[in-house]
Amino acid sequence: MPDDRQDLLQGTLELLVLKTLALEPMHGWGIAQRIEQMSKDTFAVTQGSLYPALQRMKRRGWIKSAWQITANNRRARYYELTAEGRKRLEVERTVWERASGAINWILDANRIPDVSGA
Amino acid sequence: MSAFTDVIERIRALVFRRREEAELAEELRFHLDMSAEHAERAGVTAQEAKRRSVIALGGVERTKEDVRDARGTRWLEDLATDVALALRTIRRAPGFAFIVIGMLAIGIGANTAIFTLIDAVVVRSLPVRDPERLVVIGDPSMVTSTGRGVGTQSMSYLLYKDIRDHQGPLESVLASGPTGRLDVLVGEGATEFEHPEGRFVSGNYFSVLGVPPFRGRVFDGSEDDAIGASPIATISHRYWTRRFQQDPSVVGSTIVVNNTRVTIVGVTPEYFTGEVVGASADLWLPVTMHDALKPNVRWLDKRNQIWLLLLGRIEPGATIAQVQADYSPFIVRMIAENATDRADDFLARNPDVPIAAGHRGFSDVRETFATPLFTIMIGVALLLCIICANVGNLLLARAIARGKEMALRLALGAGRGRLIRLLLAESLVIGAFAAVAGLLLAWWAGGALLAFASDGMPFAIDLVLNVRVLAFTIGLSVVAVALFGLVPAVRASRTPHATMLRDGSRTIDTGGAGARGRRITPARVLIGAQVALSVVLLVGAAMLSRSLRNVQEADVGLDRDHLLMLDVDIETRGYQNERLVTLAHTLRDDLARIPGVRGAAYSENGIFSGTEWSTTIALPGRDPMSAEDANTGTDNVGPGYFRDIGARLIAGRELEASDERSLARVAVVNQSFARFYFPNGEVVGQTFIVSDTVPITIVGIVADTRTRHLDAAVRRRAYFPFVPVTNPEDLRFAIRTSGEPGAVMEQVRKAVTAVDPLLVIRVLQPLPVLMRQSIRERRLVAHLASGFGILALFLASFGLYGVMSFAVKRRTSELGLRAALGAQRTDVLRLVARDALTLVAAGAVIGVPLALASTTLLRAQLQGVEPIDPVSLFVALVAMSASAAVAALLPALSAARVSPLVALRAE
Repeated sequence: MPDDRQDLLQGTLELLVLKTLALEPMHGWGIAQRIEQMSKDTFAVTQGSLYPALQRMKRRGWIKSAWQITANNRRARYYELTAEGRKRLEVERTVWERASGAINWILDANRIPDVSGA
Repeated sequence: MSAFTDVIERIRALVFRRREEAELAEELRFHLDMSAEHAERAGVTAQEAKRRSVIALGGVERTKEDVRDARGTRWLEDLATDVALALRTIRRAPGFAFIVIGMLAIGIGANTAIFTLIDAVVVRSLPVRDPERLVVIGDPSMVTSTGRGVGTQSMSYLLYKDIRDHQGPLESVLASGPTGRLDVLVGEGATEFEHPEGRFVSGNYFSVLGVPPFRGRVFDGSEDDAIGASPIATISHRYWTRRFQQDPSVVGSTIVVNNTRVTIVGVTPEYFTGEVVGASADLWLPVTMHDALKPNVRWLDKRNQIWLLLLGRIEPGATIAQVQADYSPFIVRMIAENATDRADDFLARNPDVPIAAGHRGFSDVRETFATPLFTIMIGVALLLCIICANVGNLLLARAIARGKEMALRLALGAGRGRLIRLLLAESLVIGAFAAVAGLLLAWWAGGALLAFASDGMPFAIDLVLNVRVLAFTIGLSVVAVALFGLVPAVRASRTPHATMLRDGSRTIDTGGAGARGRRITPARVLIGAQVALSVVLLVGAAMLSRSLRNVQEADVGLDRDHLLMLDVDIETRGYQNERLVTLAHTLRDDLARIPGVRGAAYSENGIFSGTEWSTTIALPGRDPMSAEDANTGTDNVGPGYFRDIGARLIAGRELEASDERSLARVAVVNQSFARFYFPNGEVVGQTFIVSDTVPITIVGIVADTRTRHLDAAVRRRAYFPFVPVTNPEDLRFAIRTSGEPGAVMEQVRKAVTAVDPLLVIRVLQPLPVLMRQSIRERRLVAHLASGFGILALFLASFGLYGVMSFAVKRRTSELGLRAALGAQRTDVLRLVARDALTLVAAGAVIGVPLALASTTLLRAQLQGVEPIDPVSLFVALVAMSASAAVAALLPALSAARVSPLVALRAE
């Protein structure tokens, strides 16, 4: 089965991780799965980008981690949002919305009438 | 805060590195397992699942690396690896590391020691509250290290009270004065006197400075209310530690000071040693207790007893200029209103009272030592440059020698950056060792320097390696490391490794310090620079040493080698008027009877005692002179004084015993006096007038004698018969011996005790010792400069030797070839020697003008040596050439011994 899912857009992974963890604490695998599900399998989250990102976010104090037992009785590292992380989510969301809005304007630009007169 | 968690996370990553790694592995394994299960559930074939997990497995190690990077501790872990590697390299060549670390340690240690001393003497502020708001009223240098105000810059107690009560831009003003010698009994039933250093201070002393008590209390100002009503003392932390072993019960106990019971009320904090830099007080007594503790010298109600130093605290926002404008005229007015003869003198010479920044307190050592210390600082900085050049050279040679190792590393895939980092790590490790060794050396050298500088004189300076000094040292090591570390690192990494790896390549064409003898390479530039800097140091050292010799061997007009100086404290025992004259006569006769003593004469100021009087004279029948011209030094001397000090009488007669009782007032003047006031004609028989109207007749002229300074022009001086009208503090004897003056010291001591067992001997020293102490800063500079010069010479020669023998080794096959083609040994010798001498000559050509330019800075410190001194230049160049010749000769000889066969087979 060929995998035609896209890699994530640059810089969006952290936003998506924050959003995912805002719902409930989760382990790395779960985060990846959840993002893929929520994006209706549009995005693929590789472990190669996920775990360094988690480490970075932990260092910045946005998330914290603890070892817990999963439903299948296995040990896994669960991540959860800190208060700092919650604030960060809002910031990242605003930034994203502004950026994606701007990109849409650009993409729709040909519909704006030419007013320069040249 | 996230910056905080950042640091915590990084530290945790470092400290729990092993656990972090295990957890990371487990986390990723969990991810893989889940992934595999997921795939199976999705119905992927077992084969495909395996393929994917293999692909993923390759990814695991990458992911781990990326996570490690994300921890932000990567560079630290790499550093640890590099340092471990560097330590292994250093262990492989311990001799090399030892030399490099040793040289750098000398440089860093010497610089730190000097800087510590400069910091303590010149830079540091008093450890008190807002020191920048303190002002000195008077001249901050006008205090000797025993804290006795000199000359006219200090104030009387009554004038202090006027100034204190004056409304102006000073919040408060404190006064502090010397106690002289204190006779203290500590503990019940004690009979043995102790003599701690004390200061009389105003009651607001501690509150003006903002020094809190460490134990008990400090003075609260009420001490100033009444004279003699506060028999209390505050002691310093040092004295508390030294004398009382920090016993807390000392606070509240009493000691006996000069026969008066005094209660210790408190201890000051450890950092506080008083306001006089260079003298540390053991105890402070209220100034109002002065007359009670020293009943023979009642100074509190005398306007002509000027003995207090004044320090004011400026109001916030006010400036020193405002203080000057307000206080200076006020003080001058107060002096004029209460004029005494001394006040007139004061006003004549000091129309303004100087008001200066007081944050560094009082000090005369600062004035004396600031210039010498900065001179030494320059010298020691030059030395450090030479050391860095030398170390750079060594590392350079080693980097070339390690070319193959570097090439191998490069060939095996190490990045150039990695290589530079490795070599830098080596330099860093060496630099760190050197910094530690240097600090230890500095700690030792600082004490040694201080001992040498003080030369038996009191010179209490707190030599604490403070944060500033530490930063300075670390900065130095970093600069040194960068200097010597980076150059070889870059160079080594640039080595064309294919060439280096090729075995059997003839070293003839590998460049470096090799075949083409006169090629300019970094090593040669460094040697040239070392020679140049060494020449500068040597010239400076030679000039300072010559100047010191001139000073030491100057004709002093005295029998300097046979004089023993004795100074007895007559004030404390209350010798005055008739009793004093009797004491002087008795002591003189007793001293003269000691075997080996040719004669003894007394005077008030003595020779090299640091004491001098001056007065204003007038010449009858002439116009009044300017204040400066009218000023002359004076002394009161006993009969036969000039004979007993070995001075030469030029005209007229000595002062005789009969002059002491005679009504006719007479004086002997020195040659400078005679020439200045009576340039033509007869001097003996002329008269002059001192402060009253009775003319004084000159009965004799004595050749100039140096009695205060070895290195300043002799002052005009008049000698009067010994008539004690002013109640001097000291009586001084010049004892002329037939042999070594130190030999009769014990008998002199016994003779004094026989006359009055309680008479205190303040000074008993051969004159040469006192003279030497008077030029201690000169000696310090000259000796250190010579030491640095010799060290520089040695280092430059060592460097030259290293470079030359390295060059010879690299040219072995070339030299062998030359020998095979018929070159004689002398030809080879000349070849190598010429190479070395070219370097030395180039260094000298740069060094001589540099030396000439820089030694003009020494001008103020030179005595009898011109700023351009051919003798010193010659000495420096000869020393440099001679040691360079030795350094070059050894490699040259070994080059000449090269056998063509051995040389050609060498590779």
